[in-house]
Amino acid sequence: MEQAWLIPVFGFGAFGFLALFRHYLPGQGKHLSVLAIVAAFVAVWPVLFDMLGQGIGEYRFPREWFSAGPLEVGWGIIVDPLTVAMLALITFVSVIVQVYSLGYMRHGNADDPRIGWYFAVHSLFSASMLMLVLADNLLLLYVAWELVGLCSYLLIGFWFERRSAAEAAKKAFVTTRIGDVGLLIGVVLLIVEFGTVDIVEIMGSLGDPGVNQAVVTASAFLVFFGAMGKSSQFPLHVWLPDAMEGPTPVSALIHAATMVTAGVFLVARLFPLFEAVGSAQLAVASIGLVTALMGAAMALVMTDLKRILAYSTMSHLGFMMLALGAGGYTAAIFHLLMHGVAKAMLFLSAGSIMHAAHEETDIRKMGGLRQRMPITSAAFTVGALALAGIPPLNAFWSKDEILLAVAGGLHPAFVVLFLIAIVLSALYMGRAVLVVFFGKLKPENQDIHESPRIMAWPLALLAVLAVVTGFIALPIGYEGIGTFLVAQGDKPHPFEVVPLWLAASVVLALVGLALAYVLYGKEDTSRVDALRERFARVHDVVANRFYMDHAYQWTIDRVVLRVSAVLAWFDRRVVNDVGVNGPGIGTVETGRRLRHHVTGLFADYGMGIVVGVVALGALLWVGGLNG
Amino acid sequence: MALILFFAAAALTLFASFGVVATRNIVHAALFLLAALAGVAGLFVLLYAEFLALVQLLIYGGAIIIVILFALMLTRTGEYQGETETKRRPFAALAAALLFGLMTAVFVADAGQFNTNVRQPVPFGTLARDLFETWAVPFEIASLVLLVALIGAVVIGRAGREEDETLPEDDGPDDAQEPVRRGSRRRAERRRRGA
Amino acid sequence: MTLQLLHFQILSAAIFCIGLYGVLARRSAVLVLMSIELMLNAVNLQLVAFGAYSGFGTSTGQVIAVFVITIAAAEVGLALAIVMRLFRSRGGVNLDEIDVMRG
Repeated sequence: MEQAWLIPVFGFGAFGFLALFRHYLPGQGKHLSVLAIVAAFVAVWPVLFDMLGQGIGEYRFPREWFSAGPLEVGWGIIVDPLTVAMLALITFVSVIVQVYSLGYMRHGNADDPRIGWYFAVHSLFSASMLMLVLADNLLLLYVAWELVGLCSYLLIGFWFERRSAAEAAKKAFVTTRIGDVGLLIGVVLLIVEFGTVDIVEIMGSLGDPGVNQAVVTASAFLVFFGAMGKSSQFPLHVWLPDAMEGPTPVSALIHAATMVTAGVFLVARLFPLFEAVGSAQLAVASIGLVTALMGAAMALVMTDLKRILAYSTMSHLGFMMLALGAGGYTAAIFHLLMHGVAKAMLFLSAGSIMHAAHEETDIRKMGGLRQRMPITSAAFTVGALALAGIPPLNAFWSKDEILLAVAGGLHPAFVVLFLIAIVLSALYMGRAVLVVFFGKLKPENQDIHESPRIMAWPLALLAVLAVVTGFIALPIGYEGIGTFLVAQGDKPHPFEVVPLWLAASVVLALVGLALAYVLYGKEDTSRVDALRERFARVHDVVANRFYMDHAYQWTIDRVVLRVSAVLAWFDRRVVNDVGVNGPGIGTVETGRRLRHHVTGLFADYGMGIVVGVVALGALLWVGGLNG
Repeated sequence: MALILFFAAAALTLFASFGVVATRNIVHAALFLLAALAGVAGLFVLLYAEFLALVQLLIYGGAIIIVILFALMLTRTGEYQGETETKRRPFAALAAALLFGLMTAVFVADAGQFNTNVRQPVPFGTLARDLFETWAVPFEIASLVLLVALIGAVVIGRAGREEDETLPEDDGPDDAQEPVRRGSRRRAERRRRGA
Repeated sequence: MTLQLLHFQILSAAIFCIGLYGVLARRSAVLVLMSIELMLNAVNLQLVAFGAYSGFGTSTGQVIAVFVITIAAAEVGLALAIVMRLFRSRGGVNLDEIDVMRG
């Protein structure tokens, strides 16, 4: 278990090697990157079995990095169930995505010209995320956090020749950075208040006498602000849909394993902090719920397949935050894992479609693809049904856990709204499946065919996993997931079934699917159109993404840019002209005046030396050289 | 007795020194320098530094003066006649006088601090042992310095020919009239001086 | 009146200042070099005189004087090589005509 620190090393090593030498390797070294992540994936299992053998709990392996005064900073690791679960998810999804990318990044018979860089950043991305979940101190965690942000920027903007991709990458980076600032301040506050960077130590001494509770509260909110940025929570969610500009496997990675899960993970890692601050926990739950509902609503009206999936992710991240806010640590992480598997599959299926359909993402131009792409459509359907919450698929179990947690920990209003979100979630997933894969095949899609094997196999594997992974919630060989994934200081809770909620969840999911069938199951779209007419205003608001982007754009245009203009003027005129150029010009002028006294003649210099020596000597003598 | 000898040597040295800086003939200046160095050697003997006096005569008189004379011979253009810069002379004299005044004042004021009347000879053996034991490392470094200077002198002295033209030219009127070709330059120079 | 340290000191100062005058007032590089030799000799004289009058019978003054002579020899060798080169490239060794470092 102590060797767990090796897991990210593979990825970092592959990145470093590829960054320097990829042009000398066959295929720009893409296989090396895959090999590295497979090695990391293999290395996870000994860690898991070690933990199962030695007893579930928290194992820490501190290691000193440097110390500054009283502050000691380590680069040690922490291995607990949360870490192991995340390690397994990240490495697994990364393996799948990278293998899939081998096929996806081939256009015709040629690799993408920058394929080596693509895989190098993939390696770095996975490695950073692995480091993030292993980090035992806030500083290391923050470093990994920023690395994750950087990699997402690089990959979203991988096709930076396209303006929209470059813009999207910038948007993602800036938006998450806004959150990161909050996180940074929060982390610094914690470090200053507790005098250590060690997460476990800080979490253990939250309630100590002498700890300023105002600081704890503030840092809880600030840390959550950081998580909001990364995990695409309202109102910092705007970057996620635009991030679809990246290659689709990247979207799969971002949505399932590496980027957006970081925020949920962060809240889970610092869970005691939120438990200690009731208001922050409530904020987490509320933001999560709002995000879930908004995401679901927008997923319902979007016509772009990848955007539907993106908003679906946003909605499910909302579920996770909601669960965390309700104290359902187990439920949140469980859902994170299950959602990761299902969403990776959905994105890879979408990528498969796009790969076959010439990068087309508008679902209105699809239909009947089931006939041409059997594996893809089966995988997509399984994933959609799983996220819709149909038993016995994996996300059903985790959604059920969340429902239990919400019902047990929050006001009934939350429960009602959450149930609505469940219906919506089934509805939009049903819509996507029906519109894309069922119905008549469009004439322009006649030549579509199934993707190559290297892309189809990962899909099939994921589909099988989406069916079976949910069962780890059940008491098979142990007491259920609730005894494995436990927050620090919480009591493990064995698997339980509350018939009422179980029934409610299944029924509502089925209602959602039925509704979807009624609305979208037929060729005839009159009912949908009628509904849209009826609620035109609402539709407009939702279809325009609640005007959030407009609001941000307005703020940027009217406020940020104007302030920036003033600052830019100040920078140019005062800082640059006076502060920087001033001394320079002064020096040049002085030099121009003085150069006439530099004759270049030996004798003049000699005279100068003599005069200086005489003057200095006289001064010293008169001034009392001898005492 | 010592006093008389001292004044004799001092007079010789001072006279020769003046000669060095005042004479118009540069070869005379070199010979005056030789005389001044010999005077200093005599003063060394008065200070019981026989070894140093010998070194002074051998190295300065035997080597340095010869090298200087060679240099004079090789660079002789006749230009040396009457070449003291008249404009700068009073300033130079003033500066030198000022420094002399300052130094004398300091020496006189501090004269009481030393045992000023007894000269002690240093036995030859002591000097040798000190030079090769206490000062062994500096001695070796000095030999290294000599070697480096030797190599440097050789390199500077011979590498010049091809690169001469890269040095910035004086814009004398002659140069402006006709561009000087390599090789013919020295002759041109000589013609100019002779005219 | 006996022979004292002060005599040597003043004599040394005089030689030094004469050399200094030569350095400042002369135009020929070779003459400047000779003047520098004078100044070095003045320093040597000072060193040896202090050594002799120190009252410890120490040889340090003489040893340092030996080093000064060594350095002077090296310096003359190098400086004359430079003078030769100057002469070849500029046709003269007049220091007042060498002002490539003029600002």
